[in-house]
Amino acid sequence: MPDVFAVPVFLVTFREALETVIIVSVLLAFLKQTLSSTNPSLHKRLVRQVWLGTGLGLLLCLIIAAALIGVFYTAGANKWEASELRFEGAFALVACVIISVVGAALLRIGKMQERWRAKLVDVMGSSMAARAEGGRAGGVWAAVKRWMERYAMFVLPFVTVLREGVEAVVFIAGVTFSAPASAVPLPVVVGIAAGAAVGYGLYKGGSTTKLQFFLVVSTCLLYLVAAGLFSRAVWAFEQHAWQTLVGADVAELGQGPGSYDIDKSVWHVNCCSPVFNGGNGWGFFNAIFGWTNSATYGSVISYNVYWLCVIVSFLVMRYREVKGHWPLMKQKAAAVSVGPKGDDQSSRRRASREEGKGEAAVTDEITRVSV
Amino acid sequence: MAQLAFGRRHGRAVNITAASWLLCLLCHGLLAAAATVTHDFNITWTTANPDGMANRPVIGINGQWPIPTIHVNVGDQLVVNVLNSLGNESTSLHFHGLYMRGATYMDGPVSVTQCPILPGERFTYNFTIEQPGTYWYHSHIHGQYPDGLRGPLIVHDPKSPFADLYDEEVVLSVSDWYHDEMHGLINHFMSKANPTGAEPVPKSALLNETQDLSVPLQPGRTYLFRMVNMGAFAGQYVWFEGHNMTILEVDGIYTHPAEASMIYLSAAQRCSFLITARNDTSANFPIVASMDTDLFDKLPDDLNWNVTGWLVYDKAKPLPAPAVVYDPYEPFDDVSLVPWDNQTLLGEPDQTISLDVIMDNLGDGANYAFFNNITYTSPIVPTLFTALTAGDLATNPAVYGTHTHPFVLEKDKVVELVINNLDPGKHPFHLHGHAFQVVWRSEEEAGPFAESGVTVEQFGKVPMRRDTVVLRPNGNLVLRFRGDNPGVWLFHCHLEWHVQSGLVATFVEAPLEMQKTLAVPREHLDVCERAGVPTVGNAAGNSVDWLDLSGERAPPGRLPEGFTTKGIVALVFSCLSGILGVAVVAWYGFAGGAEGGAVGTEGTAVAGGVVAGKGESNGAGNKGGEGSGGESDGIGGEGDGRTGRGG
Repeated sequence: MPDVFAVPVFLVTFREALETVIIVSVLLAFLKQTLSSTNPSLHKRLVRQVWLGTGLGLLLCLIIAAALIGVFYTAGANKWEASELRFEGAFALVACVIISVVGAALLRIGKMQERWRAKLVDVMGSSMAARAEGGRAGGVWAAVKRWMERYAMFVLPFVTVLREGVEAVVFIAGVTFSAPASAVPLPVVVGIAAGAAVGYGLYKGGSTTKLQFFLVVSTCLLYLVAAGLFSRAVWAFEQHAWQTLVGADVAELGQGPGSYDIDKSVWHVNCCSPVFNGGNGWGFFNAIFGWTNSATYGSVISYNVYWLCVIVSFLVMRYREVKGHWPLMKQKAAAVSVGPKGDDQSSRRRASREEGKGEAAVTDEITRVSV
Repeated sequence: MAQLAFGRRHGRAVNITAASWLLCLLCHGLLAAAATVTHDFNITWTTANPDGMANRPVIGINGQWPIPTIHVNVGDQLVVNVLNSLGNESTSLHFHGLYMRGATYMDGPVSVTQCPILPGERFTYNFTIEQPGTYWYHSHIHGQYPDGLRGPLIVHDPKSPFADLYDEEVVLSVSDWYHDEMHGLINHFMSKANPTGAEPVPKSALLNETQDLSVPLQPGRTYLFRMVNMGAFAGQYVWFEGHNMTILEVDGIYTHPAEASMIYLSAAQRCSFLITARNDTSANFPIVASMDTDLFDKLPDDLNWNVTGWLVYDKAKPLPAPAVVYDPYEPFDDVSLVPWDNQTLLGEPDQTISLDVIMDNLGDGANYAFFNNITYTSPIVPTLFTALTAGDLATNPAVYGTHTHPFVLEKDKVVELVINNLDPGKHPFHLHGHAFQVVWRSEEEAGPFAESGVTVEQFGKVPMRRDTVVLRPNGNLVLRFRGDNPGVWLFHCHLEWHVQSGLVATFVEAPLEMQKTLAVPREHLDVCERAGVPTVGNAAGNSVDWLDLSGERAPPGRLPEGFTTKGIVALVFSCLSGILGVAVVAWYGFAGGAEGGAVGTEGTAVAGGVVAGKGESNGAGNKGGEGSGGESDGIGGEGDGRTGRGG
């Protein structure tokens, strides 16, 4: 199965598709609510903008993906082959970081619907105001701003789809290093279809509880994947060092003795390899749970350390949400960074103080557009 | 310059043959009157560069390398006084192919029949030469001989049935050559970094420990060439352009003359043959020795596996480059030889020993060689001393330890050795203290003997005998010999790498007879004492309870099969981490909902949203912190979203 269906690819495309569908559906619902009865022609125009933005965003994604693939396979496929493990490790690490950082954010996407609604109100309001001003303000930036506001219904889905898509493309590029290229297309198609179907179903059913359930479950799965990726990145680096030591002979060893460094091995079973002979189903466990038939101290410790970090991070984040300040810090303490999110902290704290709810700001494109 | 070099080599070759000729004359004159031949060997490091590619430290004798060829006659007493001046390595000498009848303690393998000769120590090898033929001597400790401590040992035989067939003798060795010392090569070979057990590939091949050798021939004369493969690893194909060989002896066993155009000598094999010089001096002819590259794990681009010499009729004539000979080589099949004494197939064996050759990795990750399930590890007490001190228990193999892989042979019984190669490599097996009948040798890939359906009827009626024979890849081999030589004899693969990786078994032949007849020289025991090696006790050095082998030297343990305790602990712990982690993520994901409800009650939905949105606008400076944790400001939204859509 792993040679035709890369599970992480599916999960990612599923998520991104779901997210996109929800955004589009929120926009459409908003337009329907606010304009369909009062101004049908404007409604129709804006709906067209939404779909145009979505379509163009998808198209651009595909182009970027194609370009990336082209670069992969023309510029350096052979060179990377030689040190494939190092690249696999690096990409697994990148993918792991992406999932870990974005994963937490995605958890709350269900609730973002409402924020978008608010933004839309904001946007519509300001665009009315802009129109009222009649474009008197000069300068390029102001013109761009006006254009953005005028075509917010295009820009919003376009940028969102583009962001989700590029994210997916980068991620997929990362995971394909450990999965054969043939394992990518099917999960992409299935993921998009499933994401779209679930998103549409949720939109039609109007069930945000179920939406949240889907989001939480898929986020949990993604974190499992990320833990496995982190572990595998460490494993790949170690294995690269091992293969460098042993030399070309390692290829003929399969999964037998000598295919791994006995001094670093925690367990090694001469079966159930996720990579050997296409994985025979163990690739599934590798993709979801980070299973390997040849675990090293590095891979086991990194797996556990990853979870430890995730657990601590979420506990801290929750603590901050509830208490309004970081653990071990007074609520109005000076901006000294000790928390896990270091750099953003002071500005966050400022934002949270302003809001008085302990909530951090989100700097996604939507926000920027709505400025 | 080149001319000069050739001239020098030429000159040396002349000297060698002249010396042997002189010796031969001497022995003809003395006619088997026993003499004592004494050599004082001060074993030292020196420097050599035989292939012109790299200077390297080599082990020489009396400051010289190559080391001297020993010439003796049948019946002579050979005395070799060894002084180990290496400084950093122990040593020993094994006289390969000599039966050491009644003097097994002179055989040389360390931890088997003697203790190591430590740096600064002296040791005397003193024994009677009873066999004619072509032999060699070499170090038998820690894979040492490929560093240079290897030389031919020629036993001339005035009574040779072929004495009238030749005019001169020429000693010609072939060998392989490394540019690194064995110590380092072995360390890498026996390490986890070499899990396939890939043997180091030699850097070049040598003829008489040099290259571009000239062997002067006189027209019309007949020469007895005595060839020895003194290499560590590579078997060699040998041929002489324009000349045929008439084989007369292999490994010290005279044979009925047999014509050959190409022979194959594995490491440690010998062959002597006649070459009759041509009657004209119009041209010189290449001698080619070509290393058997099948043995090599890989073929480095810069490796020249051939070495060339010349049969020189006229120094003024050019030395032609050898013609290219393409694989597959078709060397003479040594099994087709018939011993001159026509000794027939030994009768039904009294004892059959079956050994499977297996390569596998042990717990240290290195690749070991096994006979059946045992890889050789030397005992604390040399096996001979255990045999001599164990009393009646000496017939119990247990006292020799497990890892020496001991077999106790009864006196004068016929032993059959069945060796099955479960490895795809060639292995030249050598038995100390005996020549064996090669009663059956399969082709490659024939599988184990027992499954091959071969019966005694197919065995050779007058089987070829020798002391080193090649077992073919995944083939089998049946050998017979009579246990008429009390002693402790190793049976091992003569690829020096495989000696290191443990492809060795110990035959303890007639131990009670040994106890009655052998008197180990005082010096041997003194050398042991100064080396701190006990000379009484079982393999573990226990002389109280002879069957208690605790403390015995042992190879690393087997690789774990599947999960060990630490693996299970690690897996369980990882699973718990994963479950706990997922639980926390899910808790966080759903936790927002509860709070959202609470927040949602406190204000109107859209207004709250607008406030949140503005908050974001204000905080938009947080570039780079994209999304992480930030969406929590939408917490108020959930319930409102529902109402919003409902409206």
